[in-house]
Amino acid sequence: MLKYGLTTFLIFVCSFIEDAVAQPAVGWQEEANINEVIYNAPLQIISGAHVSIHQLAAQNPLVVAFVFTRCSGICTPLIIQLKESLQFAPNIANKKYNVLVVSFDPRDSVKDMENMATRFNLQHEGNWEFAVTDSISRLISSVNFNPVWDEKTLQFDHDALLVGVNSQGFVTKKLLGLRNSKDIGLLINSINNVFSPTYRLPAQSNLFSCYNYNPKTGKNTPGLGMLFIALPAILSFLILIFIRLVSKSKSV
Amino acid sequence: MEAKGIKKNTAIWILAVLVLFVLSIILGIIMRLNQGGAVHLEPGTFYADMTVHGITMIGIWFVAGMAGVNFIMERYVKTSYWANTFALVMTVIGVVMLWVSTLIGDFHAGWTFLYPLPFKIAWSAWATPMFLWALAVLGVGWLVWVLSLMAALLKKYSISQVFAWQHFRNKNPEVETPPFVLISMVSLLGVLTCLIAAVVLLVLLFAEYYSHGTFVNDALLIKNLTYFFGHTIANEMLYLGLAIIYELFPEISGRPKWKTTWYVAIAWNLTLFFVLLAFFHHLYMDFVQPQGLQIVGQLASYLASLPSAGVTVFSVIVAVYRTKIKWSLSNLLFFIGIAGWVIGGVGAVIDATISNNFLLHNTLWVPAHFHSYNAMGNVLFSLGFFHWFSVEYSKRKGQERLSSLKLSFLLLGGIGFLAAFYVAGAESIPRRYSSYPVEFTSAKLLATLGAVFATVYLIAILLFFSSIFKRCLNMVLQRS
Repeated sequence: MLKYGLTTFLIFVCSFIEDAVAQPAVGWQEEANINEVIYNAPLQIISGAHVSIHQLAAQNPLVVAFVFTRCSGICTPLIIQLKESLQFAPNIANKKYNVLVVSFDPRDSVKDMENMATRFNLQHEGNWEFAVTDSISRLISSVNFNPVWDEKTLQFDHDALLVGVNSQGFVTKKLLGLRNSKDIGLLINSINNVFSPTYRLPAQSNLFSCYNYNPKTGKNTPGLGMLFIALPAILSFLILIFIRLVSKSKSV
Repeated sequence: MEAKGIKKNTAIWILAVLVLFVLSIILGIIMRLNQGGAVHLEPGTFYADMTVHGITMIGIWFVAGMAGVNFIMERYVKTSYWANTFALVMTVIGVVMLWVSTLIGDFHAGWTFLYPLPFKIAWSAWATPMFLWALAVLGVGWLVWVLSLMAALLKKYSISQVFAWQHFRNKNPEVETPPFVLISMVSLLGVLTCLIAAVVLLVLLFAEYYSHGTFVNDALLIKNLTYFFGHTIANEMLYLGLAIIYELFPEISGRPKWKTTWYVAIAWNLTLFFVLLAFFHHLYMDFVQPQGLQIVGQLASYLASLPSAGVTVFSVIVAVYRTKIKWSLSNLLFFIGIAGWVIGGVGAVIDATISNNFLLHNTLWVPAHFHSYNAMGNVLFSLGFFHWFSVEYSKRKGQERLSSLKLSFLLLGGIGFLAAFYVAGAESIPRRYSSYPVEFTSAKLLATLGAVFATVYLIAILLFFSSIFKRCLNMVLQRS
């Protein structure tokens, strides 16, 4: 009876793992693909031009926003917020940039994107480009953007993502979610190859980080700090053994 | 002399705990009244109040459990009177320093003093080091006490015996480990671990403070260590109370002593291991924490709490179901306390489930569940012990008066007070707000209701206080 009880309990406990794993792994998403080359997708711009992303980036570094025109969620606030933040972003006065709004919905046509640009009153803004591409899946997988189609709502479940691409076509920075003008300023600086200190970097004064980030490989390795987290448990079990040995030797 | 000394010290611990408990409840009521808009505190004063309320409550119910365990442990092994006295003196000094740093120095970084808050000085400059040194003083006193009790047990029992490993496969082992010894050792080892975590934490914080910026800490490391210490000690103090219940509940109820069975042994060994990993659930919102540790946090939360709760509830139900019980105030408090602990525990496990935590994190659901297993769980475990101790060892015996009234007030006040938290939590009202903006339409009403019910709870505690206090004071003043 108790064995059945224990088995049931273990199944109950394990059943929640799926829930835990199913949560959006925001974790290191913003760091994924940094310093990698964005897929050179051919674009059809609403002006009628045909150009690739790398060609566009070579003219001016890019802020790429991924949207779809039938979106009833985050796409509209993302564009409005970006438009507004670009007006107030600090330290970008002399910086070059273009904003490329690409649809990730294969149903969207150039006309749909043109309507979207008109809706935001951006159709005549020189440094805003609205485009579609026939290579969307390769483009979004190169920046780790993963929209999921939901049959119930007939909408994509997706992040609000801005990707910064420098003139050489490298991803320099990503921003997830609706971000303020300060973050947008850092993004613009990063695509202009200006150092943007978004995280406190390991320094000589910081000895015990939990993780050490290697910008060349883009990977984290456990740091000395992790040892400090394990230390109390290790020490207490050693103390337990030590006390027992001492009391045993005294009683002999 | 030493046994008498332990008895007297236990009485002093009880007096100190009761006085600080009443004062801390009053601080809690003031906070809820402020949130309800009935009184007005400056935000800094509110947070100083919150800091001292939280840390005092954790501290006093930890030492209450330790004092009870120390007293009962004398039945099995000889414990150190000097370690007990040293802990008492250090606790008094530590508490005075804490109250001075918060109420006079205005230190108000919360009882979790999350990094880098203690170094963002918004109070008297001396209050930060005094607060940290207060924790160091308390830590040293408690560390010595815990080590002395562990040493006392390990003189008599081997490591495998003290953790009842011989019970895993053998129904009638040669050496039987009493449940009290098993659970005490499990708790003491857990307390030792979290106190070592506190030592590491304080050393790192002192290093930053006294290096004037030459050395800076890693925020993720400090948060992990803070909750390793804070979460673990808050759980272990409950287990100390449970050790006392395993010993006293059958005894007071006139039932045979509980024995360690294979499932009791396994359950408590699981708790020993997994409670040390459960604190990771406090870092679900810290995106830089690796996902693997978040999953460990969720699994450990289940595996630490459910087995020990299961066997305890099973043991209590077997003890009371269709059996003739000698009910008294003490075992009624134990019984209700276990119900409070289980209800709070379920609330905690709900919150420790990652998908739920997205909704409940930092809402009033959090104080709801931890007040459940503290105010209506652990407090009642210790109150049951205090009552039993004061009646059993006092010369002022006699009929306990107003028992029904005390219990009624305790239940009414406790349940009402907790319900206000739970309802607010379910409505996503945030915690740690000194006052609520108008958008939270029900927040003020619920806070005021919480304060009213907490006052009823306080009246019940004062009724307990008066009888227990007199008896314990008598014991302290008695000439040996």
